[in-house]
Amino acid sequence: MKAFEFFAPKTLAEAKGLLNQYGESAAILAGGTDIVIEMNEGHRKPDVVIDIKKLKDLAYVRIEGSKIHIGALTTFEMISSDPVIRERVRVLAEAASKVGSPQIRSLGTIGGNLATASVAGDGVSAMMTLNASVVLDSVRGQRQMPLAEFLDGQGVSSRNALLADEIMTEVFFEMPDNHTATAFYKLAKRKSLAISVIGAGMLVQVDGAGICIKASMRGGCLARYPLHFKAAEEHLIGNKISIDLLEETLPMLHDAVYESAKSRPWSVFYKKESVQGVYRKLFAAILEQLNGKSYE
Amino acid sequence: MNKISISLNLNGTDRTILVYPNRRVVDLLREDFKLTSVKEGCSEGECGACTVIFNGDAVTTCCMLAGQADQSTIITLEGLAKDGELDLLQQCFLDEGAVQCGYCTPGMILAAKALLLKNQSPTEAQIKLAMSGNLCRCTGYQKIHAAVKSAVVIYKDKMAQGGESID
Ligand SMILES: Cc1cc2nc3c(=O)[nH]c(=O)nc-3n(C[C@H](O)[C@H](O)[C@H](O)COP(=O)(O)OP(=O)(O)OC[C@H]3O[C@@H](n4cnc5c(N)ncnc54)[C@H](O)[C@@H]3O)c2cc1C
Repeated sequence: MKAFEFFAPKTLAEAKGLLNQYGESAAILAGGTDIVIEMNEGHRKPDVVIDIKKLKDLAYVRIEGSKIHIGALTTFEMISSDPVIRERVRVLAEAASKVGSPQIRSLGTIGGNLATASVAGDGVSAMMTLNASVVLDSVRGQRQMPLAEFLDGQGVSSRNALLADEIMTEVFFEMPDNHTATAFYKLAKRKSLAISVIGAGMLVQVDGAGICIKASMRGGCLARYPLHFKAAEEHLIGNKISIDLLEETLPMLHDAVYESAKSRPWSVFYKKESVQGVYRKLFAAILEQLNGKSYE
Repeated sequence: MNKISISLNLNGTDRTILVYPNRRVVDLLREDFKLTSVKEGCSEGECGACTVIFNGDAVTTCCMLAGQADQSTIITLEGLAKDGELDLLQQCFLDEGAVQCGYCTPGMILAAKALLLKNQSPTEAQIKLAMSGNLCRCTGYQKIHAAVKSAVVIYKDKMAQGGESID
């Protein structure tokens, strides 16, 4: 591994100071499950490594008003075992519990997952389904933006909007209410230690009469960033959620995947079909949750 | 490149060492502390051979820089036997014949140990989940699973007779 200077700041202010000082030559280290492997294989060669794992204040799941805030250093293990997330935000609980292996879930953080912004990032798919926003901080001050904008952004790398002196401090989203169901399904070659073939999320909110007033459907590994099934969402909104209505969206999912991935014939034939099986699983989970809820 | 000072509790003893930062925890343990039970397999976090117990959790040390070990508590396989007596899990792996080539064994035992330190009467499903990050390329999974299950049963019996705790 190439030589570098190593810092382990104890406060956020100290971390921001180091980032300001070293800028592009520095790399943030959180759990290490992406970056240490990249460094070991010679794909990343920072001159300075800033280990932020000692910033214990950035590991939390907190409810503030109608929103859930999750610190950037919260591990997948913490997320998947958090009672509020398990009860209220199944899309995230399920995605977090399917990341890598127990070892990887104990090290890997949500901030690292969103910053890496892998095509197959399960945290990315879940957070996009939740329409989450991220908070970035630096000595210049804080800014926040929707995750979609973060992923589209051109920061110090083309992966995301992070500028050289910035650190992600948290991600937050609207807490699903009593009329909202969410689900995630990971299609992969095996249950553990398998990269997603499709990592799909779904959120449906209904009114007192069971009419869909909000829908979010995002599929990981189907485009550079989780594929947005817009036509399917629009088909649900304004209608009463039923198995038939949900099934009517299947051809739309097929077509969206075909359009997105047709330049990749080796995977598109499989994925345009399997996406429908994946969403059938999600429909079942969504209906089960909505039926279990009182609609007042 | 400046050396960094790493202080940790390693297998029950406080240790401090000065090392270059461009090494991983697996290198630190194997090369600096000569704890060669920690095996390097895939070097990408996939196989679990380099698993140790880090602050109570099983983790893969090939994904960690040495500096991440500072102020931590680490248990490797060398830390399990007490006063010349094997840990119950080690004994059960022997008794069940759960070792073939042996390369995955330290990681397997530590993944199981991390589970038992948190949950002393795990279900089958919980055992399988806790061991799901460790691959055995001899594919001796059934005996490995049987060894962990038998450790759980023996431990329960011992506790019922007023025995001591698992750690
Ligand atoms: C064996 C294995 C299996 C895996 N399986 C999965 C899987 O199933 N699903 C999945 O989605 N991922 C998987 N991953 C990828 C990885 O574990 C996740 O992406 C993880 O969330 C990365 O988090 P980390 O804390 O380890 O990040 P690190 O490796 O520490 O950092 C990753 C990147 O993010 C940057 N970064 C980290 N934190 C911040 C911050 N707060 N602010 C700004 N930048 C930051 C770093 O500079 C670096 O570029 C797997 C990895 C391995 C090794």
